[in-house]
Amino acid sequence: MSFESLLAKKTRTFLSMLGIIIGVATVIAVFAVGQGAQESVNSQFQNLSANSIMVMSNMGRGMTSSSKLKASDALLLKEADHISSVTGAIQGNASVSYGSVDKSYSLIGVDNNFLDISNLQIEKGKGIEEIDVEDKEMVAVIGSTAASDLFAEIDPIGEIISVGGKKVEVVGVLKKLGSRIGMISVDEGIIIPYTSAEKSILGTKGQVMITLTVDNVDNTGLATSSITSILREEHGLKLTQEDDFRIMDAGSMVAAAQESAKTMTALLTAIAAITLLVSGIGIMNVMFVTVAERTKEIGIAKAIGGKQSDVLLQFLLESLILSMVGGFIGMGIGQLAIPIISHFNLLAVTSSWQGPIIGFTFSVLVGIFFGFYPAYKASRLDPVDALRSE
Amino acid sequence: MQKTAVRLENVYKSYYLANGEEIPVLNGIDLEIKQGEFVAIMGESGCGKTTLLNVIGCLHYLSSGKYYLDGEDISGVKDDFTLAFIRNKKMGFIFQQFNLFSRFSALKNVALPALYAGTIANERQAKAKKLLNEVGLSERINHKPTELSGGQQQRVAIARALINDPEIILADEPTGALDSKSGLEVMNIFTNFRKQGRTVIMVTHTTEVARFADRIIYLRDGRVVDNDYKLKINF
Repeated sequence: MSFESLLAKKTRTFLSMLGIIIGVATVIAVFAVGQGAQESVNSQFQNLSANSIMVMSNMGRGMTSSSKLKASDALLLKEADHISSVTGAIQGNASVSYGSVDKSYSLIGVDNNFLDISNLQIEKGKGIEEIDVEDKEMVAVIGSTAASDLFAEIDPIGEIISVGGKKVEVVGVLKKLGSRIGMISVDEGIIIPYTSAEKSILGTKGQVMITLTVDNVDNTGLATSSITSILREEHGLKLTQEDDFRIMDAGSMVAAAQESAKTMTALLTAIAAITLLVSGIGIMNVMFVTVAERTKEIGIAKAIGGKQSDVLLQFLLESLILSMVGGFIGMGIGQLAIPIISHFNLLAVTSSWQGPIIGFTFSVLVGIFFGFYPAYKASRLDPVDALRSE
Repeated sequence: MQKTAVRLENVYKSYYLANGEEIPVLNGIDLEIKQGEFVAIMGESGCGKTTLLNVIGCLHYLSSGKYYLDGEDISGVKDDFTLAFIRNKKMGFIFQQFNLFSRFSALKNVALPALYAGTIANERQAKAKKLLNEVGLSERINHKPTELSGGQQQRVAIARALINDPEIILADEPTGALDSKSGLEVMNIFTNFRKQGRTVIMVTHTTEVARFADRIIYLRDGRVVDNDYKLKINF
């Protein structure tokens, strides 16, 4: 009976389901984005050990002068308390060409410790050595993706590539990492000595990043204080001046990134909840109109022996069918959207089992909650008054 | 001696307007209808005929007075479950405008009271088909009301009224929307009800229709003025 009633008004049925469809699809998308963000955070920091500290130049708001942080500050920080190793790097983007291939890559200027500290392994050739740094050699170790992009089948070792217009010899290729180090995708990176990067390619435009390892994770606070005082002295900052660098330890970076992923999920969940709420009100509205239109039918049903509970059930079932069918369609659209979003790299999304279950459960609850009042009103109509209506 | 199907004692029924004003419609009705009797209720417009039928059909509560159905006092019954049960099992309603569900086929319309009674699907379908066959609509069971003539629609409504095998048939101007031929067909079916031992209570303002009844109760201003009204003009 309920199906027939809904099919009699197809357009209205579809429009009232639309809100639920969008709501459930949004819930699924929210969970996919949330899960994707979480995994993206985990992947970004997977190569960062818990006792890592990063120092970067501060380009935040309120800075009146440019940062004096240099990759060579890494040498000074070897003397900081509780530091077991340190490496300096400078990063930027550079146009890289070889033969007919011309592409923009992350350029990372490093010292000879960088590969070890960052747990990067050489697939072929050799790494950046101390002498390369000292002599500002134009040599490069390239990421696996960059290697396959530029050279395809050719062995890159010994080949000369053009980086930012300068000739650089490829001396090594990294093993595929599959994840990022901080914000750098090493697989798509070109690694050269920082001295060469500063002198010949990036100049002062590069973002400096010094990575330090603390001897014990409990000493992170002490090490941070020591780094701060050394760098402030080196940069000649007065007491009233703010730091021109920022220090991030791995633990708080992961926590902050996870926090922002959670905030995004919470925000999207709120949007989904509002969508479902609005769609619920839409269903309620439609059910009220339906009850008003079918008042006479309610009268007939009661005259031929329909109980209040029969009428209540009939209308409640209709709103439940609306929301369940809408929920199913929404689930389908949501699940279809995930691979599409993923394919076009619009957002980091990962399919999750919670999305469809929570989305569908909510759609059913919305149907029951918002369908109940109109159904209850219908069931309480006086049969004679209902029969008289046209 | 015939048992009493319906007895009303000093029944009052008033409507109340939104401003609280009382509109009395039935003003002390006393009547008794025997089992198997075919009774017509007549009277001028606004005299309370339909309200009386609705009171007998448990669609209205009484304002005061006593209502005995099969000898049992049901005046104080207010719970929906019992009243719905009485309407479903003991009464069959037939209306002037047929009051069929336009979305449903004739078969589904007829089967609906059986659904409310809790009859299983196969059984109610079989019963509905049998009744539609009896009213001459076996070829039309899957037609919707809009695909049927007025007379056919009223026959569907009659079949619906019979599906739970009620003792009492309540009809409100059953021929009011029909041509004379269809009206006559409906009256022939009603006459057969009497033979089946069913009680028929029919509201009408048409003397030609009322002549089919065993007895005419005449109302004026919400009171029974004649319990056995005799039609003055013979055709």
